[in-house]
Amino acid sequence: MMPKQATSSTVTPTTPFVRLYSYTRAHRRTLLGVLGLMALYNATVVVRPYLIKVAIDQDLLRPHPHLSDLIEIGAIYLGASIIGPLANFGQNWFLQSVGQTIVRRIRLDLFAHLLNLPMRFFDEHSTGRLITNVVNDTTRVSQFFTNFLLSVGRDGLTIVLVMGAMVVMDWRLALVSFAVVPVVLGVAVLFRGQLRRSYERTRSELSRLIGNVAENLSGMGVIQAFAQEPKQQAGFDSRNQAYLAANVIQFRWAVLFNRSFDLLGNLAVALMMWAGSGAVLDRTLPFGVLYAFITYIQQFFRPINTITQQWNTLQSALVSANRIGQILVTPSNMLEPAHPVEVSYDSKGHPISSGQVVLEHVGFGYDPDTKILRDVSMTIPAGAFVGVVGETGAGKSTLIGMIARFYDVTEGAVRIDGTDVRLYRQCDIHRIVTVVQQEVNLFTGTVADNIRLFRQDISWTQVKSAAQLAGAHGFIRRLPQGYRTRLSPHGSNLSLGQRQLLAFARAIVLEARVLILDEATANLDSETEQLVQASLAQISQGRTTIVIAHRLSTIRRADCIYVMAEGRVVESGSHDTLMARHGTYARLVQAHVGSHHGDFQHFPDWENHSGNPLKETPMPLSGHPHPWKTGGSA
Amino acid sequence: MSGANISGERSVGWVRSWSLVWQFARQHIGAYTFAGGVIASAEIFQVQIPQVIGEFTNALKRGDSVAMLSVDVFELVGFAMLYVGLFGFGQFFIGRLGRLFEADLRRQLYAHWQTLSPQFFQERSVGDLLSHAINDVPAVRESLSGTTIQVVQSVFLIAATLYMTLRHVSPRLTLVSLSPLLLIPVIVAVMSPLVRQRAQRVKESLSDMSAFAEESLGAVRLIKATANEPTMIRRFTQQVDVIVDRTMAAVQTNTLLQAILPFVSNISFVVALVYGGWLVITHVISLGAFVAFTLYLRLLVNPLTQLGQVTNTLQTASASLIRIQSLLDTQPTVKDAPDAVGRVEGHTISIRHLSFRYPDRKVNALTDVSIEIPTGYLVGLVGRTGAGKSTLLRLLIREFEPPRGKIWIGGHDVRQIALPTLRGELVSYISQSSFLFSTTMGQNIGFPLVDPNPRVVETAAKRAQLWDLAEQLPHHLDTVIGERGVLLSGGQRQRTALARALSQTRARILILDDAMSAVDTETESAIVAMLEELRGDRTILVASHRIAAVQTADLILVFDHGEIIEAGTHESLLHEQGFYARLAQIQSPCEEGLPL
Repeated sequence: MMPKQATSSTVTPTTPFVRLYSYTRAHRRTLLGVLGLMALYNATVVVRPYLIKVAIDQDLLRPHPHLSDLIEIGAIYLGASIIGPLANFGQNWFLQSVGQTIVRRIRLDLFAHLLNLPMRFFDEHSTGRLITNVVNDTTRVSQFFTNFLLSVGRDGLTIVLVMGAMVVMDWRLALVSFAVVPVVLGVAVLFRGQLRRSYERTRSELSRLIGNVAENLSGMGVIQAFAQEPKQQAGFDSRNQAYLAANVIQFRWAVLFNRSFDLLGNLAVALMMWAGSGAVLDRTLPFGVLYAFITYIQQFFRPINTITQQWNTLQSALVSANRIGQILVTPSNMLEPAHPVEVSYDSKGHPISSGQVVLEHVGFGYDPDTKILRDVSMTIPAGAFVGVVGETGAGKSTLIGMIARFYDVTEGAVRIDGTDVRLYRQCDIHRIVTVVQQEVNLFTGTVADNIRLFRQDISWTQVKSAAQLAGAHGFIRRLPQGYRTRLSPHGSNLSLGQRQLLAFARAIVLEARVLILDEATANLDSETEQLVQASLAQISQGRTTIVIAHRLSTIRRADCIYVMAEGRVVESGSHDTLMARHGTYARLVQAHVGSHHGDFQHFPDWENHSGNPLKETPMPLSGHPHPWKTGGSA
Repeated sequence: MSGANISGERSVGWVRSWSLVWQFARQHIGAYTFAGGVIASAEIFQVQIPQVIGEFTNALKRGDSVAMLSVDVFELVGFAMLYVGLFGFGQFFIGRLGRLFEADLRRQLYAHWQTLSPQFFQERSVGDLLSHAINDVPAVRESLSGTTIQVVQSVFLIAATLYMTLRHVSPRLTLVSLSPLLLIPVIVAVMSPLVRQRAQRVKESLSDMSAFAEESLGAVRLIKATANEPTMIRRFTQQVDVIVDRTMAAVQTNTLLQAILPFVSNISFVVALVYGGWLVITHVISLGAFVAFTLYLRLLVNPLTQLGQVTNTLQTASASLIRIQSLLDTQPTVKDAPDAVGRVEGHTISIRHLSFRYPDRKVNALTDVSIEIPTGYLVGLVGRTGAGKSTLLRLLIREFEPPRGKIWIGGHDVRQIALPTLRGELVSYISQSSFLFSTTMGQNIGFPLVDPNPRVVETAAKRAQLWDLAEQLPHHLDTVIGERGVLLSGGQRQRTALARALSQTRARILILDDAMSAVDTETESAIVAMLEELRGDRTILVASHRIAAVQTADLILVFDHGEIIEAGTHESLLHEQGFYARLAQIQSPCEEGLPL
């Protein structure tokens, strides 16, 4: 059976935008309501100058005015002043809440989708990029609602309603005042470009400055050891000056822009005065109308300015939406079989499986031309302890991916309990097979949560007994808050050996039937080494254990050792058998014992790691230029 | 904030924290007065504009000629231009001063960091320190330029407006309708800390989610291998829900403030409309005065809002200033004596009864160490991690200040040798960490030199067995390494660091502090042979875990628990059958045993 080829370029029925548009559908009513509130709010904005106009023309300029009329107008004005802010509050609130609800949904869908994508996707996409998708791209999409829609809706309506009111009051003067709109728009667009460019320059100068400081702070030891402080200070000074210059230029543009708008506002008022005075003198235009026009014309400026700002918001939101959509349309369920086998679980929720693993002529390559695995066959009986050795690039890690089904074989088959792994549901196969990786991922949280991986169905007692079985209990108890000590992925609060033991505890608590262990390459201090070996002996009891071994001591007592080279199994058998054969295995063992002075227990340079037995295991403070960014050890 | 500096922060008082700002302001007192004056005069012109419109209204009502009316129009244009020009100038002037201050403060901070000792950098993370340069410094500038402009503008604008309304409109109308407006600064002062706080909490929850996404996507293989997707999605949902809740809380205060402020100013307007209208009807004030008054009301809303924000901005700035001041107050633990020596003849090393304890430790790192090292010696230092080898070497270059009179180089107490002489000329030191800058390989090698000579760099590269590697790089020695350039392996990094130290050809003492741990044994032997050859009258100190690296040394010092327990040549030490001999046995080929 050939599984379907997994590529992200598969043609999909929905485009990214259609996929995202569907999120807004549920909120169409609310959005309509928001539009109504926007109109209401704008009506109160437009009506207020009109009320003053009425007051001036009908009360103040009349020979026999009535105070009661004035109070009436004042009361209407007050009403508008109450309704306006309320409507504004309402439209803001509802729009934001719709935006947040949609973005929440997008974030959850995106995250769940990402986690369900096949491993191959993560080989092709950098994690940093994906984090940007989850965090920044979704934020930009939310700005589409909170900034773009708000501005275009509210401010667009303001402009339209103000123009309408002007035309209704006096169409001739309205036409004159409309001349202001293109000018304001032109100035805004012109400055917007300059502002953006100068802002971007400032930002890039700033990031260069920060990079410079970060690097110098990390390398302060070297700077001081060679007394090069003046040289580095000079380097800093030139970056600092460059940033200052860019910053001042940016500020200059901002001042120029704001003051130009100020001036334009006053010129627009002067234009109204100049254009309207003749008509007022001729009695063809009531003075109140001129007053209203003077107020209205200033109301063009803010909305036009904010709308021009939104162009960038829209663009970046569209780009982000496209990126998110691209991920969402990548099929995630390619590895799910159409007719999965049913796996039964015992009363404790552990999968019932013997743990027998068989590889039948397995071949694999990321592309058809380069085969990483060729014709690999293994029969691993239930409960066996098996070692796999070989040089870097021999295909050991790929083998893990096949058995745990992170990838699909391109030839042959992997069977667990006699069933092809491709017929298991992903969630089932990973309950049966679990992998302890070389690098132990830690999560922000307590030690206990790191062991049970935040699962709520795993009790405190289970965590403790797993830790005890894994030999981790001792060091955990010595931590400041024991099992409640908080860990972080970047923190070096655990040594390599301790991390290893923690990972074993994880594997125990999960009760997998097949455990694949990618042994840590770096050296452990002797005490931890012994602990790890003892722990390994302990956890391999009663389950099938496959170890990608980097240490001789680990596999010496293995039931069977598979020696891999160039994607093939070249030898297999117990340690003694293989040594007696004087083949590849025997050569490997001899080579490492002979060449490295101190590194007895370690195979030679397989992973290009330096072996230094005297070095203590806790991660050294790395000399990385950007330590706040680094994930792993230096 | 890390716990280490809490005590430091407390020691800086509110008043003293502002001294940085006062200092700068005092230096530029003339410039600030000038700019303040410019802004004040700009406001005087600005408040003429409503007055002109009021006069224009009265002229219209009187039925003046179009020519007369256009005088008002031109007046308005003139005042507007004067106001805009002067205010823009004053604003830019003060803003520029603020940015100068920002650059100066950042420079001070960096210059100060360069004087601080390794201990300081061990206690504080780079990210933490950077946040001062990125966030605190601009926050202070904001207070110095933004707030200054706002305060000056608001105060003068309010004063000028009040003068105009009281004098030209009506004192009673002014007092009655302005009173609601006085609520604006109060409301802003009360609500804006809340707005800031809630915005901060939104930011925090976003960065929490970002961190969560980072750690879970980074561990995606583990999550898959353990079928733990549902749990991760559950936890992510919690994170996202927190964001939604906090955002809506922030929206609430923001939109509330946005609703209240226009409401309050509209109340003022209603009062002005009714009461001002009544005054027009009863001929107490002219229609022009009424029109002008409505325009003045509009002018006042912004400055009053800004005044309300001042305390909030100052509070933020004050917190930043305190953090910066406490950083600047940190004293360097190693600094030059006033009578430090700038020239040292000879370079014999003499260590006399040296004991040393790190500041925060209970146990001595070195106890009563005495040793004389003649010039031209190759000295090996061996022992376990933490035995004191590295401490001794670091004291030689005064990474930590050694006790007085215990370490002598060329007849001078190292504490009396000026740091630039000691570190820049006399001693070349290579540490374990092999930190490289993200510049080219050549620039990294030539780092100790002010003006690196290409030949010197090349020679150093060859000596450090780096030439073959450099030849393979795309631009040879001009290839950018680190960060955005070619990534080097651990061994290659260490060899580059070695070449860097070797380029300091003037150095009479060369120190390799476990600097070849990642270099393979063959290269290491070649390097040791090169050092032998290069030696001349140079003194070379090599600390290593590997016996092979120090086998040929003239003198091998064996350290244990801060003491020199054995000293001699390889042969003599083997003969002694002590610690060294055991170590040598363990490390000899084809022998199994446990690492130390």
